[in-house]
Amino acid sequence: MEVQIVVGTVEIEVRDLDFYYAGAIHALKKINLAVYKNAVTALIGPSGCGKTTLLRCFNRLHDLYPKNRYEGEILFKDENILSNGTDLIDLRSRVGMVFQKPTPFPMSIFDNIAYGLKLKGIKKRSDLSEKVERALRHAAVWDETKDKLNSSAYDLSGGQQQRLVIARALAVNPEVLLFDEPTSALDPISAAKIEELAETLKKEVTIIIVTHNLQQAARISDFTAFMYLGELVEFGDTDSIFVNPQNKLTEEYITGRFG
Amino acid sequence: MTRAQMRKTEGRVALTLSTLAAALGLFWLVFILGDVLVHGIKALNLSLFINDPVPPGVEGGGLRNAFIGQLIITLCATLIGVPVGVLGGTFLAEYARGRKIARIISILSDIMVSVPSIVIGTFIYAILVKPVGHFNGWAGAVALAIIMIPVVLRTTEDMLSLVSWTLREAAFALGAPYYKVILQVVYRGAATGILTGILLSIARVAGETAPLLFTAFNNSFFTLDMSQPMSSLTVTIFQYAMGPYENWHAQAWAAAFVITIFVLILTILGRLIIKWRYR
Repeated sequence: MEVQIVVGTVEIEVRDLDFYYAGAIHALKKINLAVYKNAVTALIGPSGCGKTTLLRCFNRLHDLYPKNRYEGEILFKDENILSNGTDLIDLRSRVGMVFQKPTPFPMSIFDNIAYGLKLKGIKKRSDLSEKVERALRHAAVWDETKDKLNSSAYDLSGGQQQRLVIARALAVNPEVLLFDEPTSALDPISAAKIEELAETLKKEVTIIIVTHNLQQAARISDFTAFMYLGELVEFGDTDSIFVNPQNKLTEEYITGRFG
Repeated sequence: MTRAQMRKTEGRVALTLSTLAAALGLFWLVFILGDVLVHGIKALNLSLFINDPVPPGVEGGGLRNAFIGQLIITLCATLIGVPVGVLGGTFLAEYARGRKIARIISILSDIMVSVPSIVIGTFIYAILVKPVGHFNGWAGAVALAIIMIPVVLRTTEDMLSLVSWTLREAAFALGAPYYKVILQVVYRGAATGILTGILLSIARVAGETAPLLFTAFNNSFFTLDMSQPMSSLTVTIFQYAMGPYENWHAQAWAAAFVITIFVLILTILGRLIIKWRYR
């Protein structure tokens, strides 16, 4: 892998990470990657290359399924989150996630946002109201929802739902946000809003985004990692990766010759 | 005959046969329901609900004991059967998902659904009536609960399985422990389906007679004591319909009418909930 020199504070450092699905399928191979604080890092590569698998290591969502196995280290604030002692509930409240399809809970808009807050033990109605409003404003969906906070979250459009779940993730003040192809199920205008949002949000949180859309990666990310067949082929700042890729595979992928 | 004519004739034959079959089924259904409604409404009066039975031959009297007994037994059966069924279904769909034990329990409870209810009645007779020495209301409630459990359990399992995994993942990703994910997110998503299953299972046991004959039996006197024999509508219908007296027959019709309407309302409620959920 080619390493390019970049400046910034490292938020998460992945060291020699291997991942096996169901104890057998070797999905990630010796990944080494630095995720910079207050920046957007894009994970790109053809389908099945391990982008989403890598993303789901950061909040250990793989632990939900039996026999999945990690090897190596992921250092988050100098702490190996892959160690057995990691409190997954705490980790997941610090590392939020937004999925490909919007995942509003079957409850009101207000309760959706308040869900994570209540998990953290915030119960006072006034505190909740204030934090819910702040989160919805933050995710640029306040204007569309302020008059119907008590109606079902399913009444919102897909794009609004996606911003709602971003607000839900933001409400608990995470340090890192993971986006798993957040715009692939949305129309172009909604997608543009999400992209815009990602750029504003990085002032406060570190963002890692999996995307199939190369233009999107080029537009919003500061760093880009290109993955292929479970390996990290090239990592660097987005401009260098797109303008001057060091690896032949990377060049072929971003110029659209395969993938 | 050309091929096209052949096809048309075959189509007509199939249509006629299936229409006849449907009409035959519907005829009996309408016949039975209509008979129950006509005779039932005629026999319906206030005395039926507020008075207890009087000795044969005496005019008047009612079935208060049976109405109340039926309510109490069904309510207790629901209180026992629903929690066990819902929690069992949750175990199968959540904690044991994909494991062999879940498959086995699922299949066993499918078998349980089709076990004749009289078998369950005699089983409860052996363990809850024989040792005590007399019929009692609790035994009736337990027998009905056992009939409910597999129905509620399978519905719960199916309804929980319909809730998408991404929704659970989203809740986990917020830092929710599994039990909160189930209680606050998955149950909400499956609530209407589970509720429908519960209503239909109540409707199912409300019409059972055989298991009650062996357990709660009958009681001509009003009682709220579940350790005593308890009257129920279905057993009363069985007894009165077989009896030699005119006014017994009338009261049996009225009881049949009430229980049919009760089951009908539960079933319609169940359908309405489904419709409301998937509108």
